[in-house]
Amino acid sequence: MERVLVGKHSRLNSGLRWLCSAAISLLFALAFAGTAFGQDVPITGTVVNAAGAPIPGVTVRVEGTDARTNTDANGVYRIVAPATGTLTFAHVGSKPQIQAIGGRRTVDVTMTNVTYLEEVVVTAYTEQRRADITGAVSSADMDQAKRQTNASVVKALDATVPGVTVQTSGSPGARSTVRIRGISSFQNNDPLYIVDGTPVQDSYVNFLNPEDIQSIQVLKDASAASIYGSRASNGVIVIETTKNGPVGPPRATLRVRTGVSSPTKGLDDILLTNSLDYWRVQEQRYINAGQPVPTNVYGDPNNPTVPNYTYADAPAILTKDAFGRIVTVDPSKYSYPNTLIEPASQGTNWWKTVFSSAPVSDYNLDVRGGGDANAYAVSFNYFDQQGTAAWNDYRRGSVRVNTSFNRSKLNFGENIALTVDRHYGGTGTFDDASGENGVLGKDILIQPIVSVYDISGVNFAGAKGVPGVNSSNPLKNAWDAKDNINKNNQVFGNVFGGYDVTPQFGLKSRLGFNLQELSFAGFSAPTPQNNEAQLGNGINENNSNTVDWTWSNTARYLKTISKASVDLLVGQEANSTVNRYLQGSINNLLNTGLDSRYIQDALADPTTKNVFSSGYRTALMSFFGKAGLNFADKYVASFTLRKDGSSNLGPDHRWGTFPAVGLGWRISNEGFLQNNRIFSDVMLRYGWGRTGNQNIPAGRIVSQFGGDRGDTFYDITGSNTTIQPGFRQASLGNPNLKWESNKSTNVGADMTLFNGMFNVVLDVFNRTTDDLLYDPRTPATAGIASPPIVNIGKMQNKGFDFSVGHAGSWWNASLNGSHYNNKIVSIDGVQTSFFGPIGTRIGNSTINQVGQPIGSFYGFIADGFFRDAADVAAHATQDGAAPGRIKFRDVNGDGVINSDDQTIIGSPHPKFTMGIDLGAHRGQWDASATIFGTYGNKIFENQMDFYVFQDFSSNVRKDLLANSWTPQNLNAKYPRLDITDKYSGVISSFYVKDGAYTRLRNLQVGYTLPSGARYLPGARVYVQGENIFTHTNYDGLDPAIPAGNFTGAAGDTRDQAMGVDVGVYPTNRIFSIGIVTSF
Amino acid sequence: MATVSKKSLLRGMAVTILATVVLYGCKDFLSTAAEPQGTLDQTTLANRTGVEGSLIAAYRTLDCTDATSGNWGCAASNWVFGSVAADDSYKGSDGLDQPPINDIEGYHWGTPSAGTYLNVKWQITYEGVVRANSTLRLLKQVVASNPTEYSQTEAAQVAGEAIFLRAHYHFEAYRMWGNVPYYREDDVDFRKPNIDSAAVITEILKDLDSAIKVLPTSPRNGQKGRASQWTAKAYKGRVLTYAHQWAAAVTVFKDVVQNGPYALETSFDRVWSAYQDATNGPETIWAYQASSKDGEPNAANANYGERLNFPYSPSHFACCGFDPPSQNLVNQFKVDPVSGLPLSITAPATWNSDNNAFVAGNMTPVDPRLDWTVGRDGVPFKDWGPYSVAWVRDPVNGGPYMPKKIIHEQGSGAEATVGWQPQQQSSINIHLFRYADLLLMLAEAEVETGDLAGATALVNQIRTRAAQTAQGPGTDRASMAIPINDPRITWAVYKVGLYPVFADAATGRTAVQTERRLELAMEGQRLFDLRRYGTFIPVITGYLRGEGGGREDARRAYKLTAELPTARHRWYAIPDDQIQLSKVGGQDMLKQNTGW
Repeated sequence: MERVLVGKHSRLNSGLRWLCSAAISLLFALAFAGTAFGQDVPITGTVVNAAGAPIPGVTVRVEGTDARTNTDANGVYRIVAPATGTLTFAHVGSKPQIQAIGGRRTVDVTMTNVTYLEEVVVTAYTEQRRADITGAVSSADMDQAKRQTNASVVKALDATVPGVTVQTSGSPGARSTVRIRGISSFQNNDPLYIVDGTPVQDSYVNFLNPEDIQSIQVLKDASAASIYGSRASNGVIVIETTKNGPVGPPRATLRVRTGVSSPTKGLDDILLTNSLDYWRVQEQRYINAGQPVPTNVYGDPNNPTVPNYTYADAPAILTKDAFGRIVTVDPSKYSYPNTLIEPASQGTNWWKTVFSSAPVSDYNLDVRGGGDANAYAVSFNYFDQQGTAAWNDYRRGSVRVNTSFNRSKLNFGENIALTVDRHYGGTGTFDDASGENGVLGKDILIQPIVSVYDISGVNFAGAKGVPGVNSSNPLKNAWDAKDNINKNNQVFGNVFGGYDVTPQFGLKSRLGFNLQELSFAGFSAPTPQNNEAQLGNGINENNSNTVDWTWSNTARYLKTISKASVDLLVGQEANSTVNRYLQGSINNLLNTGLDSRYIQDALADPTTKNVFSSGYRTALMSFFGKAGLNFADKYVASFTLRKDGSSNLGPDHRWGTFPAVGLGWRISNEGFLQNNRIFSDVMLRYGWGRTGNQNIPAGRIVSQFGGDRGDTFYDITGSNTTIQPGFRQASLGNPNLKWESNKSTNVGADMTLFNGMFNVVLDVFNRTTDDLLYDPRTPATAGIASPPIVNIGKMQNKGFDFSVGHAGSWWNASLNGSHYNNKIVSIDGVQTSFFGPIGTRIGNSTINQVGQPIGSFYGFIADGFFRDAADVAAHATQDGAAPGRIKFRDVNGDGVINSDDQTIIGSPHPKFTMGIDLGAHRGQWDASATIFGTYGNKIFENQMDFYVFQDFSSNVRKDLLANSWTPQNLNAKYPRLDITDKYSGVISSFYVKDGAYTRLRNLQVGYTLPSGARYLPGARVYVQGENIFTHTNYDGLDPAIPAGNFTGAAGDTRDQAMGVDVGVYPTNRIFSIGIVTSF
Repeated sequence: MATVSKKSLLRGMAVTILATVVLYGCKDFLSTAAEPQGTLDQTTLANRTGVEGSLIAAYRTLDCTDATSGNWGCAASNWVFGSVAADDSYKGSDGLDQPPINDIEGYHWGTPSAGTYLNVKWQITYEGVVRANSTLRLLKQVVASNPTEYSQTEAAQVAGEAIFLRAHYHFEAYRMWGNVPYYREDDVDFRKPNIDSAAVITEILKDLDSAIKVLPTSPRNGQKGRASQWTAKAYKGRVLTYAHQWAAAVTVFKDVVQNGPYALETSFDRVWSAYQDATNGPETIWAYQASSKDGEPNAANANYGERLNFPYSPSHFACCGFDPPSQNLVNQFKVDPVSGLPLSITAPATWNSDNNAFVAGNMTPVDPRLDWTVGRDGVPFKDWGPYSVAWVRDPVNGGPYMPKKIIHEQGSGAEATVGWQPQQQSSINIHLFRYADLLLMLAEAEVETGDLAGATALVNQIRTRAAQTAQGPGTDRASMAIPINDPRITWAVYKVGLYPVFADAATGRTAVQTERRLELAMEGQRLFDLRRYGTFIPVITGYLRGEGGGREDARRAYKLTAELPTARHRWYAIPDDQIQLSKVGGQDMLKQNTGW
């Protein structure tokens, strides 16, 4: 393939790049210029509500300028404005007010409550009145979201925003898998976040302190999101941080919350914790199979006993019994790690050994204030959540400074957050590590007979000598990894400047940046006490450095002529991301102390040193425009057009065009609905638009070649110790890569019913993603080079979401619900299916098949158990068929059970998800509750491979012995216990479980101290509980299962592995107390 | 008025200039960022370095396991497909571990689970073909564009190596699946239909003949891992033997024996040894050149594919207990106490009656190769001290033995220091074709062409070498291999007798086949040999259901669920995955083998 791109003149290029961006901004400034007007006077006033109480924090602006201020705690503001000018008053929850100054020096205002449609929200580069929004835009209830104790605020979105699902594990600081209205693509379905105008793709959003966030808008359909064209295919989440406080002296607010978290459920609720109970299950497996019962661990089959020791090295053994079990040892011979002596346990509760309750604390202090021409908000946060698993901890410190200044027509400022977070603990305690390598997997794989410590009481014991157990002591694993540390140092923010050329016409430029340094340092310790003993130690570390900047320039023009108003926005944006990654490792350190864990020749075995680096860069260039029209507040229309260029795509297909149109009809303003008793306010909306996706690895438009010492290098000289370099094609390029495009249609209604008693929002949508960026496999005869990424395949999501809210005088309630139906319409025209990325001991349980949702479960249909020999004979020929084993359905009716009988056996996608929020306040007391539910989704309980089928002699379920098939118990829950049954455990619907659950996410009761209180007047104290109660039929550990971390050559493929329970860190139940006080 | 115009003019000019910068700069802004980072491209490799590197990569896949396959299904030795699936060994380990091998061992080759292993074998075999063909394409390009990079002779030699490798990989595919597609460097359609097995042989021979024409008589650059003309000639004899072209095979083999550089090692312990001085000895025709301590962080270039096949804890190796020799194989080593010939030949009704008790101190006379091939309780394990049945992961499942040929000597220093369980990995080379194998194939061909005296001599040549040394106490290198009647040997009685001239072809055939089993036991050849003999079905049926007074399904209960081989087991099932991927217009281009 031809080398398409040449980068010889990189110095010149980088200069041009900056020039390019600078030039664009200047273009905007030059192309439009105008004049100013003057004669300013000081103005003051008080803003009160309908009941006459002062409203603090009202934004007061001088129309046509960027001069603005806020009311103080007494509702008083001061501002300098032209004597003939106009003031606007805006406050969340209140109807905006416009007052002509008309020579007055005091302008007092009474604000009335706003209805839903009159809210002002930030979307699409600017603020908008809700009534002008024609797309599907949902606001998160920030009070509700902040009631959850999490490092990241996005975790709360699934209970608060209809159409949004969020999956996260209980590991502190874990990533959140946020999906908006289903799944768009085979990979990379994370939404785009716009934080204070700066786009960022981040699955954690831990750099944002939840307490700093003022509002979150979720742009769910293309007519709302297409202004962010590129990267908007998965929806856009617009987050605004708090920019200002009341005018006047600095006002500080302290928020402290501290609590204790514990797992919602423990494996010891499910698995055996007694050695002899365990043995009874194991023994039955042998008896039923007609195999001799082993005596090497539990001795006499008629009178089994737990031995004194599970293992001792030969020099320490003094006597053995008739069964070869060690009876006495010589403890003086013990030496770690050479001569081990491991006592047996009557029953170790491994769950309690590893998991326990853990503290969580969140401290926030913010100082906010401002004057006529400036506003500021400075905040400090320290968040520390220890994991419920041993030695697992997440800590974050952050500082945020938001300032803005007005100087005549010029306004400028910055919003910057510095965040440092530290995540301690090893592989397996983090969110997306799962399976046997996770601390949870190890907790299942170890047997109760293994002791936690050996006879020293200090060194960990292991499963050495316990037949079949290939796993290691989970507490030791956690201990060894306790100093493993993931660090994230991040500076995220933007600087901006605006210039109001005329009252109607303003320019704005914003430079956003995200500087991130991620690093990891890990240690692997020897495990001499394991059956599969590892004798050496090793360290590995890596460092990833990313510089990401976005420069956007916009011009906005607002004009009202009679009843019609026009809102025009044009803009340009450039984005660049450059990453460099460095990784190294070395083994066999002489000193394994923390201070010696460096990759240096003298500190370890230098021949094991290994270092490599890699990197990527991408760039985006965009031009966009939006026109909003409003006639008489009856007819609303908006038109968006965006053009994006992406460096990830082929040179001739780089630019994508993303149009959108939205139409709104405020039908309640029509004569026939005027003063209608039911429909106080009704807006009907229609939106259509297209968004794009180019989120694939960089550099895939050309073929790449590479080599690896373990793959292409070879000892051609026969030296046995040296290798010669070799190369192969690493990936096939596709110069014709183009945008993946997502078309969506949305029909919705916003309604205020019964004179404001109910607010109802309802949306129905249909989204189709076409030209899916995806890497369909090539036949092996084309080699193992990564196949080219191509634009192929089609996926559809249809559904609806709604919310109903009621705010009474002392209570409020809201319900939101959503449904989507995901369907793969086509793959590549030839293939009708391909398997998901998940690989377990029993194989791959998910498939992507045309006509089915992405990541469907695929296997045999389990039709109960074979009753008897006659049943076996009557059934189709099935490998290993025997009474008590699982009977699989002969789906194709050919009389043989084979791979052709595998079929779709379930879907991990919920049919319906729901959130309920309840609130009440009486006097000084308030209370609130949040409930979340998901229904109709299935879980593939892969853990049954271990705790039912006992792969690797793992621990088993408590009810296994009682509920396994016997000739007397034909309708048992589990098949017959049988050590030779390698057949019942294959992938089948036996593993597929109902994954529905309803969970009381949060319950909070607060008390606000009277303003006359002696201590802390006005402070609010509260107690809250999270995840207190779960109703589910799922019998595994936790039905809230985020998909594991899977990545293919074209990106993140976790959506193809949803709902597969391979052991995930369980959700936390947190009880906490908190206080909020200002001074 | 004038000033305004001037201002407008200035502004207009500025806009125009800037617009130009924008258009040019922005184009560049995206294309600069589109440059892939940290990779090589075709231009960088279009030279001698690129060609040689590409060829090296083509050699690397000889191991079948590399950093990209992520599966245990593939190994240079073919232990899963050649040994476990035949009568040499069991899967071993834990009953549920690596379930695909359970299906392969049980002859359920059409299951999705078995398919995962077969698929990896298919993938990496064809990756070898792809790498060989890429080398040839790149070589053509370099020769055309830069004629000074290679002399004509050297270019031909490079091409010869690549063509030889291509023939080897296709032969691997042929041995597994018979009817496979054949790919040469000019092929662009990767969904070609498979061709008939006889046609595959024709194509392989065609490539071997082209390679023989151009390859040098000793490895290029003196690098022992490279194929020479003699490698290709020997290999041609092998392919002819598989094709039953006996006369042609005899001619080619005799040329190699008389004029080639090969000879038998003096002592059997030097055949499978990790000592550097024993590596690439005269017996090596074609081997995967394993390396450890070579800087690779996971010891992936060592005997990676064999790493599961080591004794379990508490042995030094600590994992994983796969591929234990079958009782049937162990019994095969028993000899007649008088003649020293295999008991299976002198007492065909009873030779297979011994069960698990074959431990040190059992004084049934045996062929000394038993204790170079099989670890058994109490017998020194090379220089690692006495093997213990306690090292076996699950004796109920896999029996009391473990493989021994692939075990490196403690004193060799060949053990890796990095990766998961480095003690399982060493730089011991994996034989793909060794001279003893060649001699026995020649014997096989001579039996078929009627030269019974010649065949007898060859078999006896192998047996004479086998009688040289046996496993010694192994306290140092000198005591590892000692004369078979050395008094220090207290655990066994060794005896090897020579055959009188074979009376007839049938006798000769049995003797040659028995000798192949003994000499090449656990080397992954057995299944392919049985198929070539045409005896796969009766031999495996006897193995499972009873022969020589013993049956495996009584020794290993799980064998009861094995499917008895039938005609469809002539070839492995082509991986369903690859058939799906071969579809063109909804039609399978790859046709499944009969019966699957």
